[in-house]
Amino acid sequence: MSRAARLAVPAAAEAMRQAGLLDDHGRSVFPRLEMSVSTTACGMEKGEEFTRNTWQKNIHGQAALVAHYQSQHQVAAIHQSLGFDGPVMTIANACAGGANAIGHAGDLIRAGVTEIVLAGGYEALSELVFAGFDSLQSLAPEACRPFDRGRRGLMLGEGAAFLVLEKSSHARKRGAAILGHLEGYGHSTDLHHLTQPAPDGAPLEKAIRQALDQAGCGPDKVGYMNAHGTGTPFNDGAEAAAFHRVFNSGKTKLSSTKAATGHTLGAAGAIEAVFAVMTLLSGNIPPQINLLDPEPLAAGALSAPGDKLDSDHVISVNLGFGGSNAALAFSRS
Amino acid sequence: MNLSLVSAGAVTPAGIGTDTITASWPVSQAQDTQGRLISAALVKTEDPSLLRWQKEPRLRRASPITYYMIEAVAQAVEKLSAEEKKRTGIIATFFLGCLVYSVRFYRQITDEGRRFASPVLFPETVFNSPLSHVVATLGLHGPVYSQIGDRTCWASALRTAQSWLALGTCDRVVVLGAEEFEPLEVDALRAGGLLRRGLVPAEGCVALMFEASSTPDSGLGPIMDGFSFTHHRDAAHAMQRCLASFPAGIPVFDTNGDDLSKGPDGFTVSAAADTYRAGQMIRKGTAHDLLVPVRGLTRQVAAYRLRG
Repeated sequence: MSRAARLAVPAAAEAMRQAGLLDDHGRSVFPRLEMSVSTTACGMEKGEEFTRNTWQKNIHGQAALVAHYQSQHQVAAIHQSLGFDGPVMTIANACAGGANAIGHAGDLIRAGVTEIVLAGGYEALSELVFAGFDSLQSLAPEACRPFDRGRRGLMLGEGAAFLVLEKSSHARKRGAAILGHLEGYGHSTDLHHLTQPAPDGAPLEKAIRQALDQAGCGPDKVGYMNAHGTGTPFNDGAEAAAFHRVFNSGKTKLSSTKAATGHTLGAAGAIEAVFAVMTLLSGNIPPQINLLDPEPLAAGALSAPGDKLDSDHVISVNLGFGGSNAALAFSRS
Repeated sequence: MNLSLVSAGAVTPAGIGTDTITASWPVSQAQDTQGRLISAALVKTEDPSLLRWQKEPRLRRASPITYYMIEAVAQAVEKLSAEEKKRTGIIATFFLGCLVYSVRFYRQITDEGRRFASPVLFPETVFNSPLSHVVATLGLHGPVYSQIGDRTCWASALRTAQSWLALGTCDRVVVLGAEEFEPLEVDALRAGGLLRRGLVPAEGCVALMFEASSTPDSGLGPIMDGFSFTHHRDAAHAMQRCLASFPAGIPVFDTNGDDLSKGPDGFTVSAAADTYRAGQMIRKGTAHDLLVPVRGLTRQVAAYRLRG
């Protein structure tokens, strides 16, 4: 099994168990279950090993490496471990993909295609990805400081998160505990540059407003935004600009949990969606850690330890290479 | 919500344009990483229709797959106004994705060391980079997804298009399959036993633009996907289960099926080409109702219905 699959399977199992979708033997109660997942690197370490072996003319054991690199094999690991089958949509919209996967699950339910979807993302660190961000000089030489004027880059992370998205009536009918509602999904593409967002954050603003419109929720009702907040100069500047324009009432708190978790790329949108839902459930807003000198446009909004949520609505946003932007609006159950 | 095919574009080993989808794809020879010769169906990259895109500032350093995609999509959206492009979504599907630059970048890391890896190459290794170039250059402002998987990600993308149109997210959706050839691919196909089964790798891009069908009894749909198999020998049984989801008696479109030696295989490109070819049969009256199978090489099968 690839490292990515080893991260994805327990996360998927935990989500399904909490949703009451696993029986006493850890097998899915539904033989068919739709999946919407995100990754950027699949089982990359297997692909790297295959490549090195090929160049060194070592041909033994190559078939398994080829197989376990591919994204469909991480999904197969989930299917086989948890005992179900079904349609799979694997999105590779870079670092926004996790949010897209969850938003797409909501789309499928709203479109009447299905009533329940296992949605999320997974990512395992690999040499190619680390070297890639290193080559871009995007990695922080010290602590990752999102929305700090002295921010110098991101900290890579790895992990997986899954959510069970379900039509409310379907969930109530089977007695599932509802943790929160996905009320809105917005997505847009920034055409400014392959790796840098438009400095004014306008495309991200469009995605946020789409999500809020779909949720029927005004910006002043949103108590917290979990930001993409990579800690890179370009990302956080654009994001602060978009935040400042949309959430100008001063009531919305802001933080990036990547300062604690690292940037988990294709999993980030899913992990941060969990942070958003947990904020609704606990009432505790994740503080912006590693902050010394706040970015002026975000300064008044950045959350501090002990800040409490005084709203029923939160939002989580993600940006990715290629200009992918996605925003998810959640409400309290 | 069924889909109606309204336009198409293609870059294939047979040349440029939709006529090349139904033409036979010429097979030439290519090398694997050890310099051994194998059969492959490759795009003629010196075609002026592809070279013209090198003048675009954003595409100067783009990978071959980007050039295949932008030319094919440009053909498909040629008649759209700027206003219509604002409401046009696009979904790219890949089995292999940006292989050329990924291999080149990894070669830099391993041969020359991380400090000498090019920051220009790395962003181009990301799955959604080619599509980002396409929408930026052609001015498409609708939703944008890159989807990956074995060949059945084509069926998954068609379902995404259905949901976007059903929800009014956009007015039309371009769905494309694209792949580029890289010698390492040959070694991977050999390791997976696919060359032994007669597979001839192909590259290119087929882009199909869909709108919502005006009637529920015509167009593409329903789509049945998510039928898994573990071993190749079980794939036919998985397809039987999938096809049993449809009403009995509908003719099944003849794709290459399990016989990989029947013709070059461009993975998602071939899946898109099958949709186009089946659509041509409907358009020409050769058939009025077809089931089109989509056979993933490694994990899943799917099928969809196509009606005139």
